[in-house]
Amino acid sequence: MLAFTVLTAVAAPLEIAKIDTGMILPGRYMRRHRQPGHDYGEAFLYDLRFDEKGQPRPDFVLNDAAYRDAKILVTDSDFGCGSSREGAAFAVMDYGLRALIGPSFGEIFQVNCIQNGILAVTLGEAAISAMWRQLRAQPGVSITIDLSNQVVIAPNEAAHAFDISPLRKDRLLRGIDDIDETLSYLDKIESFEAARRAAFPWLPTARRE
Amino acid sequence: MSGRTLFEKIWSDHVIVVSPQGEELLYVDFNLINEGQSFLAFDQLRMEGRGSRRPQQHLAVTDHYLPTINRALGTAAMPNAEIRRVVEMLDENAQAFGLPHVGWFHADQGIAHVIASELGFAQPGMLITCNDSHTATNGACGALAVPIGGGNQLRHVVATQTVWLKKPKTLRMTIDGKLPQAVTAKDVILSIIGATGVGGATGYAVEYAGSAIRAMTMEGRLTICNMSIEAGARIGMIAPDDITFAFLKGRRKAPHGVDWDKALAYWSTLPSDADAVFDRELSFDATIFAPMVTWGTSPEDCSPVDGVVPNPSDIGDADRRRHVERALDYMRLKPAMPLEQVAIDRVFIGSCTNSRIEDLRAAAHVLKGRRAAVPGMVSPGSSAVKRQAEAEGLDRIFVAAGLEWRDSGCSMCNGSNGEIVQPGERCASTTNRNFEGRQGRGALTHIMSPAMVAAAAVHGRLADVRRLEPAASV
Repeated sequence: MLAFTVLTAVAAPLEIAKIDTGMILPGRYMRRHRQPGHDYGEAFLYDLRFDEKGQPRPDFVLNDAAYRDAKILVTDSDFGCGSSREGAAFAVMDYGLRALIGPSFGEIFQVNCIQNGILAVTLGEAAISAMWRQLRAQPGVSITIDLSNQVVIAPNEAAHAFDISPLRKDRLLRGIDDIDETLSYLDKIESFEAARRAAFPWLPTARRE
Repeated sequence: MSGRTLFEKIWSDHVIVVSPQGEELLYVDFNLINEGQSFLAFDQLRMEGRGSRRPQQHLAVTDHYLPTINRALGTAAMPNAEIRRVVEMLDENAQAFGLPHVGWFHADQGIAHVIASELGFAQPGMLITCNDSHTATNGACGALAVPIGGGNQLRHVVATQTVWLKKPKTLRMTIDGKLPQAVTAKDVILSIIGATGVGGATGYAVEYAGSAIRAMTMEGRLTICNMSIEAGARIGMIAPDDITFAFLKGRRKAPHGVDWDKALAYWSTLPSDADAVFDRELSFDATIFAPMVTWGTSPEDCSPVDGVVPNPSDIGDADRRRHVERALDYMRLKPAMPLEQVAIDRVFIGSCTNSRIEDLRAAAHVLKGRRAAVPGMVSPGSSAVKRQAEAEGLDRIFVAAGLEWRDSGCSMCNGSNGEIVQPGERCASTTNRNFEGRQGRGALTHIMSPAMVAAAAVHGRLADVRRLEPAASV
């Protein structure tokens, strides 16, 4: 997993509420074997970015050349609600984004993002609306996200503090993986299993491998 | 010390490590795996040289990508090479990792969330995970059923039999009173989502309680818990009671003999204590609920069927107004239009929400002796449901009405198997989501109960099942 520390990058305003994971990664892309050179970047918000003929929609924000290098998206409410498809987080990542900032996110999607090294930050609606205005006023302007200090610096230099689970923050900062962390508790897992097997002999835990 | 909730009892029974950093490591009793994007998890495990720690505590289920027609043709029934490949990858991964697998020719084949309770895998007090957002379905059995991501989190559960989770807050939704005639579990949960919004229960584990829930069959309870995620909650559950126990008794994977007695004693300790305190409480009056239909592009966009399409200019909240304007534009609906005047092009009866035997009976009851005015298909929730429906003659009622009687799978709920609603087509559907493009690009989805879909099929428009004329005698 890529570590996330401080990111200063072009941010794009995406002012559409309730973009669900099916819009972020349309169902037809979910069959795609994800590999280098054939990743989910193309799929990201495909039906919003392109029309029925596959032509870019000129009025869609991400088709504006000013946002070509955007690594941050400032989203509207409930971004990533709906289906739990983790490919939606991969689509965000493969499109080249490293962070999302929005008033609210689908819960599963937000966890999926953070576990894949994409920081999804929740800020108040006033802060989000202010950033949309600043981004629209100066297309291509940057935002800074400082994970250590849990702060977003808006284009107008306003600092917005955000919350994040300390555990997720720690693993994001170090870029370390959950399985390694968990297996350091293997003794505890095994003794838990033994106790559970004894107390609840009908559970699948008791089934012999 | 105050009492504990159903959720807290099961959660604390599964905690292995309390992290000072806010998440807890929990033990996973049972994990369901669909083909979905699970190949992402297995690809990575293979690269890392990791296997499954406890293969017998998993069940791989092929449901999302299977065709519901022409299965006898074998892989030729899947002309799309990408779809075929996804199905084959789960076959290969289940075999390579030694996981029990209900594949597409298995007698138990069905939708994971349907067969988990049908076979008795889902039991009170268990922690169950699945790489699907509708995992809360089996919370109806008194289990703590939690959706996980199909990549990293699934990989973690396979490799360690545990999951890191942040403990949610608790929310009790109490639904009291007798449901009016023709009002079903689907109408109850749609009404709740309409009231709370799609983010209304985010961050909470929901317990559904009250006399309306207690009076409900297991099928109805499964429908309620199924759509918890449509209110934003990853977890939805119902306290086990005599209806739960009667449902479980004798099922293949349920405890038997002396284990049954032990299990029953334990299960009886699980319901929330009388003095348990929830972080939040909501109450609903079941007696005022009505048959519901959605008109927009989010499950919260729903109204009683005898209502009208809302007018955005009546909506004070600017965000909500913008959403409704966009939704009506996508759905090609005009403000103030009576919902019963909305003509439909097809119907779909199926999905993990409404495809159990009781759902099929309700739809067949309406369709008996009638013809559908539009095409449509019926996909039972499992092969066992299909066999049961055929034994009861329901298949013949659907076919006589002009609908297709299909095999079991997720099918047209999200179209990942290629069975989609065409662009601009309007579908009355028993499914769970009506987001833009959910049933296919440009598809216009109205979700409702099985009986309401059947009524819509008969009229070729959204229709109030309460006002259906008696059918001509058969």
